[in-house]
Amino acid sequence: MSAGPKKSSILLIDDDVELGVMLGDFLATDNISLTACISGEAGLTRIADQNFDLVILDLMLPGINGLDVLRQLRQTSELPIIMLTARGDDVDRIIGLEFGADDYLAKPFNPRELLARIKAILRRANAKPNEQTRLELGAICLDPRTRIASVHEQQLKLTGTEFEILRCLLKTPGEVVAKEHLSETALGRRLLPYDRSIDTHISNLRSKLEKAGNNNETIQNQRGKGYLLIPGQDHSQ
Amino acid sequence: MKSLLIRFFISFWLIIGITIGSASLAGYWYAERMRDAYDNFDMGDAMLDASAALASAGRDGLIVWLNSYVEARGTSVLVLDRTGRDLLNRPIPRSLIRIMERQRRLSPPPNGERRDPDNVRRARPLSQLIGPDGARYTFVLVPARDGPLSFRGVPPPGILLILAVIVSAVASYLLARAMSRPVRQLSSATKSLADGDFNIRVASSVVERRDELGILARDFDSMAGNLQRSVAQQVELSRNVSHELRSPLARLRVALELARRKTGELPELDRIDHETECIDKLIAQMLSYSRLDVVAKQDKNSTCLNDLVADVVDDVNFECESEGLRGKFVRLEMTERITMLLHGESIKSAVENIMRNAVRHTRANSDVQVELHVRKGGGAVVVVDDEGSGVRNEDIDKLFEPFFRTEHLTENRAGTGLGLAIAKRAVEIHGGTISASNRPSGGLRISIELPVFGTG
Repeated sequence: MSAGPKKSSILLIDDDVELGVMLGDFLATDNISLTACISGEAGLTRIADQNFDLVILDLMLPGINGLDVLRQLRQTSELPIIMLTARGDDVDRIIGLEFGADDYLAKPFNPRELLARIKAILRRANAKPNEQTRLELGAICLDPRTRIASVHEQQLKLTGTEFEILRCLLKTPGEVVAKEHLSETALGRRLLPYDRSIDTHISNLRSKLEKAGNNNETIQNQRGKGYLLIPGQDHSQ
Repeated sequence: MKSLLIRFFISFWLIIGITIGSASLAGYWYAERMRDAYDNFDMGDAMLDASAALASAGRDGLIVWLNSYVEARGTSVLVLDRTGRDLLNRPIPRSLIRIMERQRRLSPPPNGERRDPDNVRRARPLSQLIGPDGARYTFVLVPARDGPLSFRGVPPPGILLILAVIVSAVASYLLARAMSRPVRQLSSATKSLADGDFNIRVASSVVERRDELGILARDFDSMAGNLQRSVAQQVELSRNVSHELRSPLARLRVALELARRKTGELPELDRIDHETECIDKLIAQMLSYSRLDVVAKQDKNSTCLNDLVADVVDDVNFECESEGLRGKFVRLEMTERITMLLHGESIKSAVENIMRNAVRHTRANSDVQVELHVRKGGGAVVVVDDEGSGVRNEDIDKLFEPFFRTEHLTENRAGTGLGLAIAKRAVEIHGGTISASNRPSGGLRISIELPVFGTG
């Protein structure tokens, strides 16, 4: 990494060419360079060729649709992804989060909101973790330095957001962590009304933990309060 | 047959024609046969011979004659003596006995006085001979079994009647069924169409007919197809318009931010920002309104209504708090746990729209009361009460129409005008009802009733 202020590069996959140009202008002042692709195929090729810090993906694309792009992308990379969804299209949004998008924004979005989210995710990705200590609970093990989480020594494939949520919960096992707090640490933004993204990320995390063979520690929901990771009873059954 | 007109014409014509024709033919045929029989039977000559035999040898002579006559011509003549017995002791048909009785009543009593005046001559249906000793012998023509007057080959009238009833019933049933079955199929298709099932088509057995019912069925199918297409087009159009509006709006918002950077903050730019937001909200609502038709075709999931409503209450309260809605709060009261088959998202948006509407209209620092309970006879009721100014009674029904706004509520224009319409559609998709009423203590009550799905 260079010493000066690093220029972040972002890939926008959206079929609206003019929007790409204007967004490029808008983000340039914040030291972000934006590359625009107008199709999913082109986007996937660009990602294979070039290193990006983040991808903004419109789910409504001509050709292969955004969800397919997302799924293909997630097979090979943990690159942070912000998806653009149609407002009111909750299904797309939930599926998108389930497919591993880090965050979403309804289109037409407020560009300042987009900028805030980009910055939050970049900050999280570039952050040098303060705590260097490994976190362990039962079979779950999380190393902030290597950014590797594992169950029974078997590495979990977590997105950046899921990793952060798991870290938050592991720090205080058995204690409720507020959704607001999870949103601020994992997504870098305030929780919004009608915002279900944390819930979707949690359910993804839950199923990944279960698939990896962890049945002891469970993530529970406390209505209106937040989530907590319940330690399993050791040596039980 | 090609047309119902011809089918009915020919059927009725045939049935009526065959009935009348066969009845008259049978009558005519029998009359002819009787006439032939009588024509061939020369009673006059026989009577002369019998009279001669009787005159010469009395009763015995008559018996000899009768024997030879019967031998020669069959047993079609009975000769009865005064006691009513046949001279050859042959059985006498019952019908004949009845005729004899009548004859006896009509004939003047042998020894009595004539009661009839002189100018009266009574017909004597049966011929008689009077012997030298004054004995009367009555001659009777009998339709003997094999004689010319027999009814051989004609079944008895009872069987004929039953046969006629059965044959005509079968013919009428076949005709009626041929007519009523396709009509019933058409009518059930019509009912389904009226209930909003645009996929319905008439059964192919009706469509393939070459008569007027077939034409009607084909016309029905093409009408249903056109309706289906036009409804789908309308939904598609509103969805496309909404989607297509997203792109220019997205560009508009970015352009607005670029403008802000160049010129600095201007009140006009804030205004543009605000109006863009309004259009954005409206598009979102239009999208979810048109999406409801897609939702209706998807499968319902078993959903815990308590969680669903509680989630919405949390969200709305969170919104009140974060947007500083002057001390407004939503209180939730529920006792039983209710789990039912639902399109979760659509019912959620219904409850959410109603609740946000209530929060918008309730007085500052007042609560919105939400209640969830089991409906009588199964299903669930969600009641949302606010403490606002209510709605004029004549406007209550219009509340659920898209873009309806009450006149006196000018201060609260934050809504898009689609929220309650979305709620209504979502509830109706579930076969439920939604209603509004002014509460006696002021404010508006909106209740949703959802029936049980997937049972019975």
